[in-house]
Amino acid sequence: MTTTRRNLFKFVGGGAMGALLTPAPWRLITDTALWSENWPGIPRPARGEITTRFTHCTLCPAGCAVRARCVAGQPVSLTGVNPHPISRGALCPWGIAGHQLPYHPARVRQGPMREAIAAIERAIRKRSAGERVAVLDLRPGRTVSWTYRRAMAALDGGLYVTPPQSAYAIDLAAAKTVVSFGAPLFDGWGTPGNVFAARTNFRLIQVEPVESRSAALADIWLPIRPGTEAVIALALAGEIAVAEAARVTGVDEKTLGAAKEAMAGGPVLALAADPASPLMNWNAKLGALGHTVVARRESPVPDTWKKAAPATQMAAATDGTIRVLLIDESLPGGYIPWSEIAPKLAPDAVVVAFTSSSEGYARHAQCALPTAVYPETAEDVGPAIDTVAAVFRISTPLIAAVVPVVNPGQFVSRIAGLPPSDALRERADVIHKAGSGMLIGYADGKSTPVKAVTADDFWKTLNQGGCWMDSTGKQTLPGKLEFTASAEPAQDELPLTVVATEPRRGGLESTLLSKLERESNLRLSADRVALSPVDARAGGIENGARCVFETARGRLSVAAMIDAAVPVGVVEVAGGPRVADLCGANGRARVVRA
Amino acid sequence: MTAHKRYGMSIDIDKCNGCGACMMACAVENNIPPVPESANDRKGITWIRVYKTDNHRAYPDRRTAFVPVLCQQCGHDTPCVHVCPQQAVDVDPETGIVGQMPERCLGCRYCMVACPYHARYFNWWDPVWPAGMEKTLNPNVAPRMRGVVEKCNFCHGRWHAAQQKAAAAGIREIDAADYIPACVEACPTGALRFGDLNDPSTEVARDAALPESFRLLEKIGTQPKIYYRSRRDWVREIASAPRPDGKDQHRG
Repeated sequence: MTTTRRNLFKFVGGGAMGALLTPAPWRLITDTALWSENWPGIPRPARGEITTRFTHCTLCPAGCAVRARCVAGQPVSLTGVNPHPISRGALCPWGIAGHQLPYHPARVRQGPMREAIAAIERAIRKRSAGERVAVLDLRPGRTVSWTYRRAMAALDGGLYVTPPQSAYAIDLAAAKTVVSFGAPLFDGWGTPGNVFAARTNFRLIQVEPVESRSAALADIWLPIRPGTEAVIALALAGEIAVAEAARVTGVDEKTLGAAKEAMAGGPVLALAADPASPLMNWNAKLGALGHTVVARRESPVPDTWKKAAPATQMAAATDGTIRVLLIDESLPGGYIPWSEIAPKLAPDAVVVAFTSSSEGYARHAQCALPTAVYPETAEDVGPAIDTVAAVFRISTPLIAAVVPVVNPGQFVSRIAGLPPSDALRERADVIHKAGSGMLIGYADGKSTPVKAVTADDFWKTLNQGGCWMDSTGKQTLPGKLEFTASAEPAQDELPLTVVATEPRRGGLESTLLSKLERESNLRLSADRVALSPVDARAGGIENGARCVFETARGRLSVAAMIDAAVPVGVVEVAGGPRVADLCGANGRARVVRA
Repeated sequence: MTAHKRYGMSIDIDKCNGCGACMMACAVENNIPPVPESANDRKGITWIRVYKTDNHRAYPDRRTAFVPVLCQQCGHDTPCVHVCPQQAVDVDPETGIVGQMPERCLGCRYCMVACPYHARYFNWWDPVWPAGMEKTLNPNVAPRMRGVVEKCNFCHGRWHAAQQKAAAAGIREIDAADYIPACVEACPTGALRFGDLNDPSTEVARDAALPESFRLLEKIGTQPKIYYRSRRDWVREIASAPRPDGKDQHRG
């Protein structure tokens, strides 16, 4: 056969056509995408030795035990610890992504430390008689809280201030019926694992205007008019007629009757969203004191610490007398609206915030000093509201701080002239010396009597994954029943009642929370409010429209969501420091189109 | 020879409080990045998404339920497998898991159109984490590139890890305790359970047989391996997505 030019073209053309009928070109198309998996823009996860470490979450007072999976020392995922008798292997959405917080783009990364110290020392030196130095501790009950109290006792005119605190702990497992006045029982109230473990044993009557996550899972939901909780309490207590309560609260008589019937089933516990609410006093009449409502117990402290300043409320301070205010906002905790703090400050007051977030008091302070964030934090977690026993657990740092940080305890000690000390170790030694209670190790799940371990082993276990827990002796609290109906009349200028439904504690939150907010609308984000269709229509507001959320104290730009689950006359918000500053105690607002 | 598994999940809607722990755990485990500020609920990537649904009644009679929806791991006529021109989707005969191979995906999104459960997500953006946060990525899961579709694969990385552990111990069967998807592990309410539906002794198989158990869009015959359950009638009714006019269409 002679090779001609024509035959060559025929061969090449035929081969190309034939190749199209084979899987080869299609496979080629498939594999062209392979390169893109490793292009420079795609981050490559680090490799290294995989280890397991334990710590405690500090993002809320629950202090859940945490098992961290670490790759080359860096935590890459967090889960709960099953042997833990209180947190029982559960973590909340915030805790699950806590290991990403040190890299949060909104983190406060630097602050004028030297200038802050100089300004504070100058202010202390030059203050006039009656002017005070105050520490505002947003998460009392920690070991560093004792340091603040000791420091304020050492300073002339020192004042230790906390947000309103509950003196009691709740034994949820002992309750058969829980009447919750807006307490977010299933969404941020206590320790998630503990609450859900107890859930099968009690009936829940949820009293609140909107159907929160707790109301959605309640056995009976009483959808009241905002501000009429006390009327429901009086009706359930049999002090006013059900018909009268139905008229005031808007709840139908049948549902109220069913709630009253449910209360006959066993020990009843009343819970309020605000732990300082007088609604909690109903527990005295319900016979809950000493059974389900008991005194909150702290772990022992050295005797030398007991010469400490007492905890006071901001309202108790005299107006215009605080010359230096140091705010520990290093851990998310309570929040006092700035409108309640500002009048207490002297005209030339120095305000310093120890914080990792620019959203809270950093907006009002002259100096915002960066602090460690979980899981860089090295401190203990105070007692949770649903922990009856005294506990001592340490949040062991999983990584070193990724930015230069200030230790608020050491800072305040230095200002007050206290000698440097390892307060956590001192307290652990006192607990060990007392010899009571058990040491629970997370790696093996074993409980060991404290008497059976040495002081060094006790300290080592606390730092490497474990907690100390004392016996659950219950102490009674005094209480009385005093209710007044306090429904606020509607005001024309501010026609909407503000109801905060999302558990926001301030501080940094994982960027992955966008999954629950913008990416799914599962939760209301801080820049959104929800309105009823009736209120939205009256204001000419469309779903998703940019609006202004306006209160007597200021305005906030938000997006409005229309939700038929929101009652008329209510605006649902996510809460947080900005909303707290805007609303204060009077939660009324209006929403208008931007 | 080991028996083939049929991994599935049971979800107790009456226990779910919509906290979102499953969504967060999924995102952490599978290296799903947060989306840019401009994104909304249609462009987000949530391999498991908790939908808030209700009984369509007016306040105060309105009642809410939270329904976690993930890839339903269809066991019959798996729609996404049929339509994929790239063979980027397949059903593993050993496990019954519907897998997605992002490196093969061309991003045509036929599978998203075909999926009756809206459980597939398109990567609109490059995977970007804030500076430093890439250190927290899970080394067992490769981040996906822009322009591909992704979805739940029952934490396939964990299945591989469990297999490796079993192989290292010289056994063929993996220990059930070694293979639990991140969402199930994270659920604080215990609403999510996972296991082999072929094994009648597993909790998930027992849950699937309960009278209040149901599957989403059961009528279209895809035989999902995600079983929901609720004692509330209205919750069970919405699972079949009845048409408001009552003219329900059945397949075939």
